[in-house]
Amino acid sequence: MPLGPTLAPKVLASKTLTSWITPVANWYANLAGYRKYGLTYDDLLIEEYEDVQRAIKRLTPRQQYDRAYRFKRASHASVLHAPLAKEQWITPEQDVRYLAPHVREVEKEDAERAMWDTASVSRK
Amino acid sequence: MLAARASSQTVQRVARNFATVVDSAGVKVAAVDNNQPTSSVTFLVKAGSRFKPKAGVAHGLKNFAFKSTDKRTAIGIVRESEIYGGVLSASLSQEHLALTAELLRGNEEYFVDVLTSFVTSGRYTRHEFSEYVAPVVESEIEATKFNPGFQAVEAAHALAFHNGLGSSLMAPPHSSITHDDIKSFAQSAFTKDNIAVLGTGIDQATLSRLVEKSLSKISTASQLSSSASSYFGGETRLQAHGGPQTVFIGFGSAGAPSPELAALSAYLSPAPSVKWSQGTSPIATAIPEGTTVEVVHLPYSDASLFGLLVQGPTGATVKEAGIAAVQALKTAASGLKAEDLKKAVAKAKFAAASAVDSREGLVSVLGSKVLTGGESSLDSALASLDKVSESGFTKTTSALVKAKPVFVAVGDVATLPYINDLGL
Repeated sequence: MPLGPTLAPKVLASKTLTSWITPVANWYANLAGYRKYGLTYDDLLIEEYEDVQRAIKRLTPRQQYDRAYRFKRASHASVLHAPLAKEQWITPEQDVRYLAPHVREVEKEDAERAMWDTASVSRK
Repeated sequence: MLAARASSQTVQRVARNFATVVDSAGVKVAAVDNNQPTSSVTFLVKAGSRFKPKAGVAHGLKNFAFKSTDKRTAIGIVRESEIYGGVLSASLSQEHLALTAELLRGNEEYFVDVLTSFVTSGRYTRHEFSEYVAPVVESEIEATKFNPGFQAVEAAHALAFHNGLGSSLMAPPHSSITHDDIKSFAQSAFTKDNIAVLGTGIDQATLSRLVEKSLSKISTASQLSSSASSYFGGETRLQAHGGPQTVFIGFGSAGAPSPELAALSAYLSPAPSVKWSQGTSPIATAIPEGTTVEVVHLPYSDASLFGLLVQGPTGATVKEAGIAAVQALKTAASGLKAEDLKKAVAKAKFAAASAVDSREGLVSVLGSKVLTGGESSLDSALASLDKVSESGFTKTTSALVKAKPVFVAVGDVATLPYINDLGL
């Protein structure tokens, strides 16, 4: 499961919970440091999963190019042992889940295939 | 035994025509029930390759058939149809796209729903286009490269009619069509006055009810248009290898297809009436061993293409067969003996009637007439063949061969003949 379990929808459904947890979430995301290296959260999904591979193929050519560029820039920064210059950091607005919807779609298709593979048919 | 004989006498006369065409929610619905064990439902859409906002979209749309809709996913359609036991297919011609479901009696509700949900709510997703549709489109294009007969007839269409009917059935290789192009083409094609629903082995009332329920929400007027056909003619030579050497010699004419051409094609056709015999066609006896001549007669709504497809192992034999075929065509065009014409008309009538015997034939021959609102029966076609007279035949055929011919050579172009080598 590349996406793993999440409580986010439940948190987002409640206004109070959202207002409590959002600052913590932002603090955690910034502390994780991937934004300083010019990556978005979806760049961290483990791409060795078959589902993620199929999802990556469904990105638009522009999204695929941008993803490759971010990886290249991040690995260069990693070689230099220093984060990028501050103006190159990914802002929270730029940190969108561009890959997760595709992964979810692929997971849904897999689940449906498994359902049909194991469905038992009875005559009405 | 007795019981069996008694029941066989009460079998109704098999209906060959769509008895009635009913407008149900603005869509033409026609059904015929011959008591066969299976049914079929075809959505005939005026969305053939001649209606093209962009080259190849019709081919793309054909391969998008039965992919995911708002109701079902692509795999859901495949698996559920398998469970019900049915066959879904899509076919494309120059003028029509046919979406067909063949099914066991009793499953109409499900299969009509599959067809209507594709027509009303196909999703045309980008990933389905790149994962399922584009590879099939490419492989179909690839397969035609090894079919010189198909290539020759396609090239002949392009030469004969330029745009409209001349546009290829196949998408161009390395085409730039996208899922969005196909989606907008589908939206402008799937409209009420553009669709005819044809059922065989299904009750008219049932089919109307099922269609009415779901097609009432689609828009009425079609936004697709194709310019009226006119005939041009010309010559081309295509280098190809691997297949037989092929030459197509054709003539076309704009306007409604005439029964005289059907008679001419029946007269010339070297296909024998008895297997392994030579047949009495003037072409069959004159061509060298190993070569074949096929008479191609393609009637469309506003034009027709008539031609001879000559194939053989070498350029020299094709040339010899081509000279014989052209000679036979010229002789026939200058007039036929009365008994020859009678024979030709009988053959043409049989061909027309036996085409309607099969389910696909019924849909392709009479379906277009249902769509245009014309008389959807075979009787008019047979009656018009009966009316073919010697003078009318000579007039039509001599006018046909006076036009500028279409000439296509596919194969080893260095050895294949030129048009003047064949006596034209």
